[in-house]
Parts: sequence; C-alpha cells; structure tokens
Amino acid sequence: MNREEDQPSADVSVDELLSAVKSFLMESAAPQLQGRNRFNARVAANVLGITQRENAMGPALHALDQDAATKWLTTVEKDAPIAQQLSCALARREITDTAGFFDYLKRRQLLVTAINNPKYASRAVAEQRWQSAELAPATRAQQ
Amino acid sequence: MLPEELTKHLNIALPPLMANKLEGAGVTALERLSGGANNETWRLAWGDTPLILRRRPFSAGAVANLEGNILGLSLLDEAQVIQLASRTAVPVPTVYGVFDEHHPVGEAFVMAFIPGESIPQRWLTDATFARARSRLAYQCGEALARIHAIDCKDLPSAVGPTTLPRRFEAAQSGLHAFGDISPALQFGLNWLIDHAPDDTPHVLLHGDFRTGNLLINDDGLAGVLDWELTHQGPAAEDLGYLCAHVWRFGQLQKPVGGFGDYEDLIAGYESVAGWSPDLRTIRYWEIFAALSWGLVCQTMGALWKSGQGDVERAAVARRRSEAELDMLLLIDEWEA
Repeated sequence: MNREEDQPSADVSVDELLSAVKSFLMESAAPQLQGRNRFNARVAANVLGITQRENAMGPALHALDQDAATKWLTTVEKDAPIAQQLSCALARREITDTAGFFDYLKRRQLLVTAINNPKYASRAVAEQRWQSAELAPATRAQQ
Repeated sequence: MLPEELTKHLNIALPPLMANKLEGAGVTALERLSGGANNETWRLAWGDTPLILRRRPFSAGAVANLEGNILGLSLLDEAQVIQLASRTAVPVPTVYGVFDEHHPVGEAFVMAFIPGESIPQRWLTDATFARARSRLAYQCGEALARIHAIDCKDLPSAVGPTTLPRRFEAAQSGLHAFGDISPALQFGLNWLIDHAPDDTPHVLLHGDFRTGNLLINDDGLAGVLDWELTHQGPAAEDLGYLCAHVWRFGQLQKPVGGFGDYEDLIAGYESVAGWSPDLRTIRYWEIFAALSWGLVCQTMGALWKSGQGDVERAAVARRRSEAELDMLLLIDEWEA
C-alpha cells in the first residue's frame, strides 16, 4: 500500500529525539534542580536546539563554503576545513576580491547565526540589511 | 570545590584578616552564584555582613598554556587594581583578603558586597530603573574618565604598556592558536588593521566596562565590577567596548550599553577629563570589541576541550557567531 501524504509515521527521527530530550530537560529536569544545575539544564536544552538547527542547515552552509573555495582558493586541501583554508588565505592577504568575499561572509554569517543563536538582536538588523533575492530560503532563521 | 570544604578553608583564613574590620565569628550561607564563565562568584556572610568571593576554579598554569590567552589578570592583580580604583570616586567594593593559587581557598579574593542590580534583564527594561537608566550613560562617562586618570606607574607589572600593532599581533596569534576557524573574524581583523586610528596616549582601561559588570541602584551607577581584563590602551577603547552590540543585551536602539546615548556618555567623560572623545573612534572600538568577544568565545571553547568547564562553557564557544555577525554588520555600516 502506498503511504498517503498525510498518513502519520511512527518513525522517530533524530530531530524528534532531540526535541524529546529538550522537553525532558526543560519541563521535567530543570524544575527539579537547583542553582547551577538548573541553569545548566536550560543551557543543555538550548545546546540541543543548536544541534537540531545545524542538522537542518549544515548542508546549505557546506554548499556555500564549497562554492567559496572554488572562487577564492588557488589550491583546495581535501582534508582541511574550508573555513580554515579561507581564514588562512585572508591572513596571508591572498584574497583580493574584498567586496565579493564580504558578500559571501554576510550570507554565511546569516546561516551560522541561524544555527547558533537565531534570536540574537543584531541578526534581525543584518538580515533586513542584507536580504536579497539571491539569498536562499535556508538562510532565514528557523524559529 | 564543595561549599563545605570552601567554608572550612575560609574559616581558617578570614579571622585574622577581618579583625578590627568587620564583626563576625565565621563564614555562613556560602552559595555559588550563577554566571561568570571564567571565574566563580560566591556569596557568603561574615557575621551580619554580606561578602563576595571571587575564585578561579582552574590552575593559572593551564590558562597560561593557551597561546593568545585573553582570560586576563590573575585575581591577585585584579584585586590590586580594584584597590587602586578605590582611591578615586569610582564606586568599587572594598577588598578584605587576597589568596594565591597555593592557598587552600585557591586563587581568590574576598570583597564587600555592594547592594544593586547587575543582571541586565532585570534593569535594562524595567520601569523602576527608568531614572537610573536616564543618568547612567553620563555617569559611565565620568567613571571611565576617572579610571583613565589612574597613574599607570602604580599598576601591577602584568598590566604593562602596549601598542596598537602589538594588540593586532596578539589578536592574530589568538586566531591562529585557536585553529583559524573563523574567516569572519580574520576578515574583521584585516579591516581593523587597515582602518586603525592614530594611536593616542595609552591610559589604564577597565577593559570589561559593560552592562552586566555594572551594579545599578535607583540613583544609577552603584558599582564597577570584574576588573580582570584591565589593560593599557587608548581611552576610546573603553567607551567603544561599552557600546558593543553584544553588551546591549538586545536593546540595540540604545547604543551605550543598551541603556543610553553616545552624547551623554561623551559629555560625562568630558566633564571629568576635560576633552571629548571622538565618536568615529568610539565606533571603531565597537568593532574591535566584537573581535575581542569572538576571541573570548574561542578561549572558552579551547578551555572546555581541555577538560575544564561545564556545558555552559561549551555553549559560550558557539556564541562566537554573534561576534562574527557584529563585526560584519558594523563594518558594513561604517562603509555605507
């Protein structure tokens, strides 16, 4: 039998598992804890949110970095992270297309903050300022 | 260290230091306060007097091993700088006792508890602090000018003179030491080097003068805390740091610490110093402050990876992305 579009699935995804643990930390564990442990339970729940968002947006970030590598690195080392290779090339002042690279960094940073801290106040300002038709939907913060 | 053990060590160490200063026979109600990613803060009572203990939970040696370390002064040096500031009109707590890393208490100092609110979320938007907020930027300008007037000759040797190029080199070696993981911070550092202002005479800087490290009461500024990032540098650096996005705690529309305006900060500073800091230079140091916050986040990540610290420190490492975003946003605004 073909699965219907709206048929519920009993399969529990990694994202749903993380949500379950997050709920446990916030709703069950944190209220039972005191002081530093209560604070850290909330931090831990927030960390799981970062994990979920990185799972969702990591591929888009990777694609953006791959594209940057072909544009601005003269040689790409397979085993080193692209961000690191770009950072070293910048430190050596090898990337001269400052305006183009700045545009890439803006796009990249909207994604990175969408993963790590989508509610950071500067992000809304930056998103409005930098938003253009070229930006992929995945760069918008998932609330 | 467990509270019971710390209480025991303090009860041996404190009586001779408190004699003729404060009434009391022993430590009670020792409690760790939340927050503080690199030093512990504990509240305790000596008799009826509430006190604060600042304590470094890891060995100084482990910190020194991190190249590009910007965790700042030892608590001994920090206590000495607070004592220097206490001779001025800057509101700082009285220091009662200082312990080095070989003391059973650990590297720590005990100081007076100043009543007031430090937690930004409690005073930045609450209507009961509206009067305090309205005068605070001017008061911060006054306090910074007074700190900057402290004679650098009296400082501990760890707070030595430096130059802008050496600051850039330290930032660069920090980025390298942490694995060159951030093209955004490297781009920002390149920009800061290319747009550096003329290096003005260096003064004693608080180095971490911001919302979250200030105690606020109904009259405004009640205390200036957390002197561990004290260093020498141009005066505008401290003013720019106070205005950094990350330290506005979401109140971006109020450039000074999320509570005030540039004009009041500059006017307060001028009223004491007799000269007026340049706004464009202050804004340059806001961008530098974003880089500093990014490096602090990287330091937290490195410390956590070396086995020191709990989940909060691991999480703070990810806040590097705030610093990166702010650097890019501020550079974009500067060049517009």
